[in-house]
Amino acid sequence: MDSNDAAEMGRTAGYAGQGAGGGAIANALDDGKKPRRSDNKTVTFGDAGAVVSDKKWNIIGVVTLIAVWFLSTRAWGFPSDFKDAAQAAFQADGGSGNISDRELFQRCQLASDCDTDGYFQLVNPLSFPSIRDTFSAGVSFISDGYRGFSAWEHTWASLWRVLRGMFWGTLFGVPIGLAMGLSSKARGFFDPLVEAGRPIPPLALLSLFAVAFGIGDASAVPLLIFASIWIMIIAARAGVRNASLPKVRASYSLGASKWQLLRRVLLPNALPEIFTGLRVALGVSWGTLVAAELTGVTDGLGATISQAKNFSQTDTIVVGIVIIALIGVLMDVLLRFLENVLVPWQGKS
Amino acid sequence: MKPLSVRNVDMVYELPKGGSVHALSDISFELDAGRMLTLLGPSGCGKTTLLNIIAGFLGATSGEVYLGDDQITGPSRERGMVFQQGALFEWLSVAKNISFGPRMAGQKPAQYRPEVTRLLDVVGLSGFGDKQIYELSGGMQQRVALARCLANDPEMMLMDEPLGALDALTREKMQGLILNLWNDTGKSIIMVTHSVEEALLLGDTVFVMAPRPGRIEKVYELPFAKRALTEDTRELKSSPEFQEIKEEILAFIWEMEEEIMGREAS
Repeated sequence: MDSNDAAEMGRTAGYAGQGAGGGAIANALDDGKKPRRSDNKTVTFGDAGAVVSDKKWNIIGVVTLIAVWFLSTRAWGFPSDFKDAAQAAFQADGGSGNISDRELFQRCQLASDCDTDGYFQLVNPLSFPSIRDTFSAGVSFISDGYRGFSAWEHTWASLWRVLRGMFWGTLFGVPIGLAMGLSSKARGFFDPLVEAGRPIPPLALLSLFAVAFGIGDASAVPLLIFASIWIMIIAARAGVRNASLPKVRASYSLGASKWQLLRRVLLPNALPEIFTGLRVALGVSWGTLVAAELTGVTDGLGATISQAKNFSQTDTIVVGIVIIALIGVLMDVLLRFLENVLVPWQGKS
Repeated sequence: MKPLSVRNVDMVYELPKGGSVHALSDISFELDAGRMLTLLGPSGCGKTTLLNIIAGFLGATSGEVYLGDDQITGPSRERGMVFQQGALFEWLSVAKNISFGPRMAGQKPAQYRPEVTRLLDVVGLSGFGDKQIYELSGGMQQRVALARCLANDPEMMLMDEPLGALDALTREKMQGLILNLWNDTGKSIIMVTHSVEEALLLGDTVFVMAPRPGRIEKVYELPFAKRALTEDTRELKSSPEFQEIKEEILAFIWEMEEEIMGREAS
């Protein structure tokens, strides 16, 4: 459809509608502009409910981030003759492929003949890796792995730890939350524990857990349980408290026993909140990963990052961070999809 | 079918800050099986409290309620309840909502399926069995609530402003449906409503209640519910005898409301 057709249709709609909105659209079209919205709303700024995440601006945001990274770590006016010499020297020293920005920068600092007049760089590659260095570190991480484990092994080790932490956190958290929502005694018993436990950062417990449970997975998984259990407790509690009195009363009037009420009404009724809790807990657990893998494990993305830190391999650190971020986003998308399938009634009643 | 007997029921709410509210004072009445009783009155007159005591959700401070020979001590499948809204199970389909009662009683699908199909037809929702609750309009949701209540074949149906959240047109249609259900099933129905017109049209017995303490102030035995089964309800509602009683009750309720307002102002 070309713009004339659109204008014609808009005008017809405007006249047919006879409404203020329709008229405004028709006027806008007469000026040769496309209507900004299809719902004929004339009040748009401040209509916060209509604000969605614009896909086009998603892309612009990501591109901007990469552009800032690229521009701030790029070396403008780096002496090209030195670059060629350094590349040759690098290969003579047994290096393969292209010399990294970081290596180039180091050699320039040490060399007497590296003339950096007219050279400009906002962030030097020793502080933060350039995109080129990060990309090659990513390629090497994926093709060769890192310190004895393949990229897949690192990723799976982390994912498996988070899943185990979530599993146990949910298994213990949900019944405690349900009990807290259903009984004043349980509420009274667990409230101090939950209120005090919730603000404790898992990192603070790292050393304690390592001593108590031993290093490695023995304390990494409990740390992740700790990260997720409070969220699951609070989610389940909110879910039960959310059950309306009419629902509960109707269930009893229909002949449900207490157990049937719990199993057939309260639990399904709490599912939307539990699902929201799962999403939040997954985010927090995944975010606690690096701390959890400080417990002396050698595989995993968090362990990769902390080992790379010991060797000042900032490019590998960024690769680890990017993979963690991507998997975090993927998991959230997956859970949101599952949420739509499993609790389709959420927000629709 | 069993008669309902309410004997000297008193309900006193203790307020958390001290003091108490006399929600019901010495309520006694007998209701034969198969009657349609509507409860009217200004807010705070205790009509919902009375309904909740009969449903078994609340225990009276003193006095007893009997259905047949059994004293009411808690909720039971004998007394089905229809709420204004929010009592349907959103995670279940329409058919699963309706079969909830039979399923809780341990019935197998083969036992309750024909009944669910029949009830869907009765409430005018044939073919909607597989729909989800959130896909239905408010009126259709109340039809599901009625069918779900009927699926247990209760002695009596209790309704707490079942049509209160519906628009006027849907409300009229639903009034017709409730009348037909009452006539076809022969079950006793007790309904709390804010609408005088609705109370007069549906109730073959109408209690007008008064607050502080909550009591039954007037009792009407009316012919309109029976007549509405055969006559045109619109004509019935505009008939002089209907209008006369409506005005009388409205004036009475207004008087009480004014009195309450005056008391609160002073």
